[in-house]
Amino acid sequence: MDRAAQPTVRHPALGLAVTGLILAGISHPAAASLIAAALGEPARRPLDVGRLLALSLQHVFLAGAGLALVTILGVGLGILVTRRAASPWRPMVDAIAAGAQAVPPVVVVALALPVLGFGGPPTLLALVAYGIMPVLRGTVGGIEGVAPDIREAGRAVGLTRLQILTRIELPLAGPAIVETLRTALVLAVATVAVGALAGATTLGTPIVAGLQNQNTVPMLQGAAATAALAFLGEAALLALVSAWGAIRP
Amino acid sequence: MFALPLALPFGVHPSRNLPRLAGIAWTCALALALFGLPVLSIAENRLALGRPVLGLQALGWQAWLILALGVAGLVIPSRQASGWRSGFAVAVFALTILVLGTGLGRGAMQALVGFPPAARARLDGGAWLALALLAGGLGLALRRARAPWLGRATVAALVLGVVLLARSGAVDALSLAVEYAARRQTVNAAIGEHLALSGAALALALAGAVLLSLWRRGQGLVAIVLSGIQVVPAVALLGGLVALTGGLLRAAPALRDLGVSALGAVPAIVAIAAYLLLPLWRGLALALRSPDAATLEAAGALGLTPTQTLFGVRLPLGAPILVAALRVAAVQAVGLATLGALVGAGGLGRIVFDGMAQFAPDLILLGAIPVITLSLGAEIGLSRIEAAVRRRWHA
Repeated sequence: MDRAAQPTVRHPALGLAVTGLILAGISHPAAASLIAAALGEPARRPLDVGRLLALSLQHVFLAGAGLALVTILGVGLGILVTRRAASPWRPMVDAIAAGAQAVPPVVVVALALPVLGFGGPPTLLALVAYGIMPVLRGTVGGIEGVAPDIREAGRAVGLTRLQILTRIELPLAGPAIVETLRTALVLAVATVAVGALAGATTLGTPIVAGLQNQNTVPMLQGAAATAALAFLGEAALLALVSAWGAIRP
Repeated sequence: MFALPLALPFGVHPSRNLPRLAGIAWTCALALALFGLPVLSIAENRLALGRPVLGLQALGWQAWLILALGVAGLVIPSRQASGWRSGFAVAVFALTILVLGTGLGRGAMQALVGFPPAARARLDGGAWLALALLAGGLGLALRRARAPWLGRATVAALVLGVVLLARSGAVDALSLAVEYAARRQTVNAAIGEHLALSGAALALALAGAVLLSLWRRGQGLVAIVLSGIQVVPAVALLGGLVALTGGLLRAAPALRDLGVSALGAVPAIVAIAAYLLLPLWRGLALALRSPDAATLEAAGALGLTPTQTLFGVRLPLGAPILVAALRVAAVQAVGLATLGALVGAGGLGRIVFDGMAQFAPDLILLGAIPVITLSLGAEIGLSRIEAAVRRRWHA
């Protein structure tokens, strides 16, 4: 995330993956019981591996669906907003973006609850409402960062507007867009965990239940597994991007 | 040149007609909200599902007045973008919002006639949509007016208007007002707790960020750890910290005498502060690096000591960056403090979660509206300060 971090870690994805795997290990019932015992907590009713995997799968599914929606809408809107025709609308979009960021995801989940009912839908709505704006801003920032001369050169060699977009603007804005997608991914995993409050069955469920009835082991398991998912997801995204960068001509 | 790759057949440029199209869409949406969607729902009690009431039933002729005023506010400043026309539009929109509020209050009172006292008149989709559209129109008019004082004056006037409406009893029949009247003290206390939680976390994080940036050699490690914390979901960090605090208390029971407990404000403040460290630490580092080499050399040539350079050159020049970091952190703190209620730290989250547990929409709103207001207030207030600081030092 930070430039200063680059020289110390050879490949950023590696560090993230190792952290993720350690956290995944902690979420194993045996390890979590051991830690709870070390903290002096009674090791009551740990989640077995099957249940943990089922919860993780649901978590990944919900976060993945949300991330896909956020990516399509955020990048799409970002491209639309940077077209010349949309320039009068930029201040309004920026204002809405700042406003949407001021409503925390928990509050969106809570507000959507009476309208959409318990479960996944309010979580997805919160994810989209809160996640779109960072992706939109990142996309806009990336595309606007493209030097005008390069765009001009593209036009000079006879590229159409669509070609300028797909061959010049998007590839050059790529790193900025990937950076915001990392933020969106972390946000997606976190928001889906909060969705447990609205009755979505995710890795947040054992955390919330554990906090309510003082049951430390499942709480620790859920917390470690959620964090593991976030780290592994980021590692996967980075690995994917660098692999794509390597095979691209 | 970068227009959408579509041209209307009769040679009309889409960009020139976009504002007009949006205006028509806005008007249609307002008409839909007032005439097509339920603006109120009448329920037997605070938890029951409601029976919808359309705008024309609840508002009567005022529905037409609101639509007319809204369209007028949109059309008045259409050509001449600046000047008193936009100011007039601002006044029209603010008035329309207040008319909508009184109309809804009276509609709710009339709709509740003949119902038992436990019956509630809730605001429904149409009312929220109309309110959002009018607020959007107000924002647009304010932007066109380009007068900073007008924004402040309008917000003050609207707040005053809403307070007067509430005091006069015009909106007492609305379920939200009934719910607030029943829990006035709880809500006010929760707002205080929320501010205390986010303020304490912000102060702790600020101190932590200063300490971390003093550790010159470890900056690479600090960057990795702080970025790592951002990846951990807040719910998970809270859970982990509660377990950790519990273990710490068993190891050192003396901490209990200091008021530390496994569930409560301490784990919540630590968790919130942990997330604020990254923006604050990064902002501090960028702010201290903001003066260029020539400026620093000049400061050295003038014989300033490193401390004088820090307070006389580095911090003033980096102040806008610092305030920007503070703004990001403050908005995050207000949002994260909502989750503090999960670990028994109180705050507005407790009201929101109570409302979710009871499935009582008005109780959720009662907690959510102050959270959003505080968050927007922090965002707008600190960005104003940021702009002022920028003007002061980078004129």
